[in-house]
Amino acid sequence: MMDELELLKKDWQKKEVAHPKLSYEDIYKMLLKKSSSVVKWIFIISIIEFTIPHLLYLLPSVNDGVKVYDSLGLKTPMLILTVIQYIVIAYFIIQFYKRYKEISVLDNAKKLMSKIIKTRKTVKNYIIFSLIMIVLFFTITTIGIYVNDDFIQSLELSGQDISHISLEKLKSIKLIAMLTVAGTGVFLTLGIGAIYFLLYGFLIKKLNRNYTELKKLEI
Amino acid sequence: MNKNLEHAFVTELESNQNIVHKVCTLYTNDKDAHNDLFQEITIQLWKAYPKFRGDSKFSTWMYRVALNTAITLYRKSKKRVQTLDYESVIFKIKADEYDPTEEEQLKLMYKAVKQLNDIDKALVFLYLEDKNYSEISETLGISEVNARVKMNRIKTKLKTILNP
Repeated sequence: MMDELELLKKDWQKKEVAHPKLSYEDIYKMLLKKSSSVVKWIFIISIIEFTIPHLLYLLPSVNDGVKVYDSLGLKTPMLILTVIQYIVIAYFIIQFYKRYKEISVLDNAKKLMSKIIKTRKTVKNYIIFSLIMIVLFFTITTIGIYVNDDFIQSLELSGQDISHISLEKLKSIKLIAMLTVAGTGVFLTLGIGAIYFLLYGFLIKKLNRNYTELKKLEI
Repeated sequence: MNKNLEHAFVTELESNQNIVHKVCTLYTNDKDAHNDLFQEITIQLWKAYPKFRGDSKFSTWMYRVALNTAITLYRKSKKRVQTLDYESVIFKIKADEYDPTEEEQLKLMYKAVKQLNDIDKALVFLYLEDKNYSEISETLGISEVNARVKMNRIKTKLKTILNP
């Protein structure tokens, strides 16, 4: 075997690849093309993932929900949650940017892979945080509707005449509202979670495989 | 963009392109993918070029960027082709050096190397390029001892592929 590999080595070094040699112009043209590296994709997809949870506020139902918080007496807890949320998001974005900037093709293979994986992990942690926040928001709202008798009044605030609706019916409206809010929360959490983990796997599959292969050498 | 820098870079890459072609040949299975990977390596080399200060040879620096691109940055994961088309592996053969038995042996060797995983291929590539273990370990980020151990394992692996 040794001899065969040595034979291959000699052969490898004296031969040129059977690929047409590229001219100066061919190479020059390549400089103008855009990279499609995994790092670039991670950057683009991460930016999208950072914004997705915020696009939720553009949904009319979520937006209306924010207005209803006032009447439900949830203004203060929601405000505190929002402030915490933005501080943490700022932290994640700074962390992500710093790690992204550290990625260098001039590092050795293992270091390069570990830096990319770390960058991606920042986004993973951000997504987990966002999902927890979504669950928290919807849980608080659901509980808010349950414990607050003014819920019916908050319906009145939205301009509906409720004087003709029976008490029984109002109770079931309250239950339906709670179920809707809780259901939306579960749906959004699972939906965003699924999209994220699919993308995560897709982007990082090959990288993880090779990184594991290198790490295995240390055991 | 600095025209002089562009000119210096393209000239260097043009004369050293064989290294990049060899990496592409190892890591891809068809012409399109080969060109695609070559393109990505060129972009990565160009992006890193301002950091190349000439304290090492251009070619030495190229190995690292080219391999990093092939193993890590290149996004399209290749399909595992079990029945490899030798044409995609073949190297130019000079007529006067043609030896049918040796050639047959080499064909099988190239086929076997193409079946290795990405990391093993990188080790074999550097070994074939006559890099010593210290350079191999620096390029991949593993210890020299581990590089040696790994290389021995790859030799065994190749043996198994060749003599199943």
